[in-house]
Amino acid sequence: MTGSRSKSVVIWTFVIAALVMLSAPTIVVLGASFTAGNIITFPPEGLSLKWYGAIAQASDLRQAFIRSLIVATICTIVSIPVGTLAGIALAKYRVRFARSIQIYLLLPFTIPLIGSGIGMMLVFGNMGVLGRLWPVGIACCVINLPFMIWAVTASASNLSPDLELAAANCGAPPLQRFLYITLPAVLPGVITGSLLMFILALNEFLVSLLLVDARSVTLPVQIYNSIRSIITPDLAAISVVFIASAAIAIAVLDRLVGLDIFLKSK
Amino acid sequence: MAAASAERRGPRDTIAVSVRDVGMVFGDVHAVRNASFDLPKGRFLTILGPSGSGKTTLLRMIAGFDAPTSGEIYINDRPVSAVPPHRRAIGMVFQKLALFPHMTAAENVAFPLKMRRHDARAIPEKVERYLELVRLGGYGGRRINELSGGQQQRVAIARALVFEPDLLLLDEPLAALDRKLREEMQLEFRRIQKELGVTTINVTHDQREALVVSDEVIVMEGGLIQQKAEPVQAYRTPANAFVANFIGVTNFIEGVVAARDGASVSVSAHGCTLPGVAVGEALAGGDACAGAVRAEQIRIAPRAETLGNLDTLVEGTVVDAIFEGERIVYEVRVPGLGDQLFRVFDHDPVNHLQFSPGDSVCLGWNARDMHVFKK
Repeated sequence: MTGSRSKSVVIWTFVIAALVMLSAPTIVVLGASFTAGNIITFPPEGLSLKWYGAIAQASDLRQAFIRSLIVATICTIVSIPVGTLAGIALAKYRVRFARSIQIYLLLPFTIPLIGSGIGMMLVFGNMGVLGRLWPVGIACCVINLPFMIWAVTASASNLSPDLELAAANCGAPPLQRFLYITLPAVLPGVITGSLLMFILALNEFLVSLLLVDARSVTLPVQIYNSIRSIITPDLAAISVVFIASAAIAIAVLDRLVGLDIFLKSK
Repeated sequence: MAAASAERRGPRDTIAVSVRDVGMVFGDVHAVRNASFDLPKGRFLTILGPSGSGKTTLLRMIAGFDAPTSGEIYINDRPVSAVPPHRRAIGMVFQKLALFPHMTAAENVAFPLKMRRHDARAIPEKVERYLELVRLGGYGGRRINELSGGQQQRVAIARALVFEPDLLLLDEPLAALDRKLREEMQLEFRRIQKELGVTTINVTHDQREALVVSDEVIVMEGGLIQQKAEPVQAYRTPANAFVANFIGVTNFIEGVVAARDGASVSVSAHGCTLPGVAVGEALAGGDACAGAVRAEQIRIAPRAETLGNLDTLVEGTVVDAIFEGERIVYEVRVPGLGDQLFRVFDHDPVNHLQFSPGDSVCLGWNARDMHVFKK
């Protein structure tokens, strides 16, 4: 019996250590945001919500946050049709070079972000659209699209090819088959992928940094800019708001489709 | 083969499905060759064959999922090669049922009506009527995964029938069920088919199912139709050795035709001469042949005297006796016929003498029960 007890001690030690490591940054920033002092410290000096008040007043932070939301929304809206169709096609049809396509789709994500960021900076620069928000949304979509495709492919590959034949047999023409049968069946994957895309675009820093100018900074870039001048606890507070937004997205996901499908997505 | 089989077709019997010289080639594999048959309205046809015999391919062509590489299929006298599946009025029950998982039972049954633009106000009443037909009244609100295997079967049947199709196709939907449920559903298919009078084509590899449910049976092998007949005919007078072997349990005695006189023929095998009935005109003296005797047509007794009235008697030794409840299956080695193993059924295990492995026995059968096929 002692053998299994010492085993469980070792396992639990690892589990707790891992949990502490993973959550430490969040806890530190959360604690620091409640400080009553004027510099970021952990543990905080006293407790107050004054820095939350400060960020509510700071229009630059608020506007940067809104811009991040816009970027994330554009990215999600673009990725839903593109990722859904690509995911279904890869899962359902014997696409020629399916393997190569998958690797190609991974590329923007596999090559260093700074490289693809600079590439997109050149492309959008040539088009003369640098500094607007939609190119940032498109860029986030391009980089993170594999996640969307994985999520959709995971649901679509469980889909029996007989279902579409059955729908045809029921009298459904091709478009109706897609709308009534295929799409609802892959919907959990689409929801998972969309929320993932939203969160990733909301958080995207490096590519945003390269594609924005002073008029169009997104929140991560705004925070980064502020860190370079003075580090005040309002940055911790805005980070907490940021983390909370991501957490809400995860909660919505869990509520809509359950986290298990999210975790199972290949 | 089909052209030769006699159709009992009166002037009022209209043809629901006509398959004319249909062939299907995948790459260099001939999945179906030259299939031709007519199915009168209201009949229940079963296409029986082992896997890879082409029976499912034929069904999929009738459903419109694959186009034949040659020949034409007519449904209600109209050629359908150019008609996509959703424009054919065919209901189908799939092997894996293919119910829509995100819909309730009632929504599944309503789907064909919605897609075929039936009057929306009449749909709920019709759905309920068909759910009652398959004895699922009141289950409409259940999700598919809340139903048992048998109930899912019934939803699939209701969905295939609710729009009153010209033709019902069954693609081995019972294959995955356990035996008791399968036999129950076979009778259910038969009841519903008779009640609605819908022309039905069923595909299966289960010979018992084919005999139980069908008005007509087509036996397929290697992409070819081997025989089309009513179940009793297919069983009693198989057209060839394949059909004799596939339906029922049959003992084959290989030999050479010694003489032929009209239908009666004598087969010489291992120095014995066995009388039988020739199948087909082509069989002539000197041909290699196989005599087929059904396991239930062979009588088994301890001594030859008890079987005195039978035409053919052989002696052997019991190798195995398998008790199956309603019958005993004996395996008997017959030294006089090249040590061949015979399978023999005894259908009265309560009253009959029972044999054990090692017992010497005598087997006997009548000449009219040995069908002789050309090899």
